[in-house]
Amino acid sequence: MREFAAAAAIVAISTLVSLVLRPYLVPTNLAMVYLLGVVAVATRCSRRVSVAASFLGVAAFDFFCVPPYLTFRVNDYEYLITFAGMLVVALVISTQTARIRKQAANAADREARTGTLYRLSRSLAGQTRVFDVARTAAECAEEVFRTPVVIFLPDDGKITFRRRTADQLPVPTTEETIAQWVFDHGRKAGKGMESLPEATALYLPLRGARKTVGVMGVLPGADARIFVPEQLQLLDVFANQTALAIERTLSQHAAEETRVQMQTEQMRSSLLSAVSHDLRTPLASITGAASTLRSQNERLPPETRHELLDSISEEAERLSRLVGNLLEMTRFEAGGVELRRDFYPLEEIIGSALQRVEPKLKGRQVTTHLPDSLPLVHVDDVLLGQVIVNLLENAVKYSPAETPIEVAAEAGEGAVVLEVRDRGPGFAPGEEQRVFEKFYRGRPDGASGAGLGLAICRAMVEAHQGTIEALNRPGGGAVVRTRLPVGNAP
Amino acid sequence: MKTLILVVEDDAQIRRFLRATLAAEGYSFQEALTAEEGIAQAAARQPDLILLDLGLPDRDGLEVIRRVREWSQTPIVVLSARGQEKDKIAALDLGADDYIAKPFGVGELLARIRAALRRSAALVQDGPGTVFRFGRVEVDLDKRVVRAGGQEVHLTPNEYKLLGVLIKHAGKVLTQRQLLSEVWGPNQTEQAQYLRVYVAQLRRKLESDPARPKHLQTEPGVGYRLVVEV
Repeated sequence: MREFAAAAAIVAISTLVSLVLRPYLVPTNLAMVYLLGVVAVATRCSRRVSVAASFLGVAAFDFFCVPPYLTFRVNDYEYLITFAGMLVVALVISTQTARIRKQAANAADREARTGTLYRLSRSLAGQTRVFDVARTAAECAEEVFRTPVVIFLPDDGKITFRRRTADQLPVPTTEETIAQWVFDHGRKAGKGMESLPEATALYLPLRGARKTVGVMGVLPGADARIFVPEQLQLLDVFANQTALAIERTLSQHAAEETRVQMQTEQMRSSLLSAVSHDLRTPLASITGAASTLRSQNERLPPETRHELLDSISEEAERLSRLVGNLLEMTRFEAGGVELRRDFYPLEEIIGSALQRVEPKLKGRQVTTHLPDSLPLVHVDDVLLGQVIVNLLENAVKYSPAETPIEVAAEAGEGAVVLEVRDRGPGFAPGEEQRVFEKFYRGRPDGASGAGLGLAICRAMVEAHQGTIEALNRPGGGAVVRTRLPVGNAP
Repeated sequence: MKTLILVVEDDAQIRRFLRATLAAEGYSFQEALTAEEGIAQAAARQPDLILLDLGLPDRDGLEVIRRVREWSQTPIVVLSARGQEKDKIAALDLGADDYIAKPFGVGELLARIRAALRRSAALVQDGPGTVFRFGRVEVDLDKRVVRAGGQEVHLTPNEYKLLGVLIKHAGKVLTQRQLLSEVWGPNQTEQAQYLRVYVAQLRRKLESDPARPKHLQTEPGVGYRLVVEV
């Protein structure tokens, strides 16, 4: 109605202008003023109004501008041609302008829609977890459709309202069965649809390329603009995009899982083959010694008996160490180790490590170089202690008995550098970094151990965001240098 | 009368070996296979010491400590798997006296048993004498004077308090929580790094090689222990 009033006003203005100009111009030229008025109406109002303005304009022209004035009568019949021409031109202008405006509006709409979908796909691309994909999509949809949107994900093929993207459930829980129906049948249902129109919300299946991956629930707002065909169409496209993104994420997960599983299998078999030998050897000597003692006890000279007993306890200890290392490594690789970090004086951790290896030192000299000014280190004391024990045991094992072993630490930039040094043969040149690989043995000629000690050290140090490296010392011998971040002591 | 040791352990092989060892050392031996049985035996037989495995078939071994401590101060030595620091701490906080990690050698086990028995005997008689000695250190508890190698050592009040708590429980592992609560009060049990700094200072003042302490020993992941005889 306001449009009609505006159109009438514009025609009235045209009439006023025409009345002013009437003394100076012939009426056919005054028709142009009305045509201008129609153009003005057509650019702003709907087609119906501008058509009405066209007729009104012709009538007003006749009434005010064609003699005799203030009647619809016409003296000169050639004006009928002017009227017809004017009307045709006005109608054409109205129709064309309206069409152009509609096209422009459509283009803007399309652009907005493309923009929205582009935004949707871009935000979905960044997500790696199914739930994040769903949440991002729901947020995007809420923004575009200006209405609460929630996405439900299935749990073992069942839609549960527990796996949802919105904190507060915007749809009634009684509608879980509707969501399930939508999920099972892959068809829309709910408010405004043919199926189950009495529901509060509209439910759309999230149909991927292979199967339905979830359900989107849309709670129409008060203005319910969502049920306009273009909006429904856009909603469909939205649901499709979301479904594809979820499906893609799911398959990525599946692929990743398979890869990890294969890797685990491979690791397990190489571990088994490497370890079975190391496990069997001490078991064989224990079994052998024990059965000898049992069957020939009295016939054995006492010193032989002692030897056999020694070998049982030594081999059992070797076995125990090996099993311990294996468990530690496995635990680490399974990600089951939780660091219990706190601030410790490094001196204390080194001290208790030295105490633990004391029996294996067999009187070997170990010197410590620890400045009093060392900052506290932010570590798991048990794990770092294990690292130092492993390093010391290696030093004892691989260097001659009369040579010294050193433990030194100093403060570096944001880190404490800890070194365990010996005067043994050092590492084979070029092999320095390989020593941290699993099952790598410094000496293939059968020094005991499964080649796990340094691998465990590396895993533990790296869990602390530290680094560990093996170097050869100037003047001969090995150094293992560990760099530990200090952290901010309170 | 022989000293009676109650062994609460479900594994038959370990029981067999413990039985042989303890008998050879002249202890009487009583065994329980489950936590329930352990609690019942502890009440019925009043053992002088309990050796307790934490992994029992029916109940958590920690439950045994909790129940026994409701009415008895019998020393409890826990047998635990290596790397189970959480369990060790829980056991000690509940009132266990010591722990030993499996697998263990006989020598170590017997040493722990003897130490625990000696501590409980000393507790029954009276507290530590007025002068307490370990290694080259001498602590006069009456005069509050500490000497190391004959030289008087100045300790801050907190250092002295910490040393006092360690002396009171000499030989026993004290968890960080127990130490913090005895020295700084029950509300200060989260500030473990203060404790470590104080222990480090005590070592610098009392140990001949602070990096390799003989007496103020660390139990990694658990706490500290004052070792008197080395």
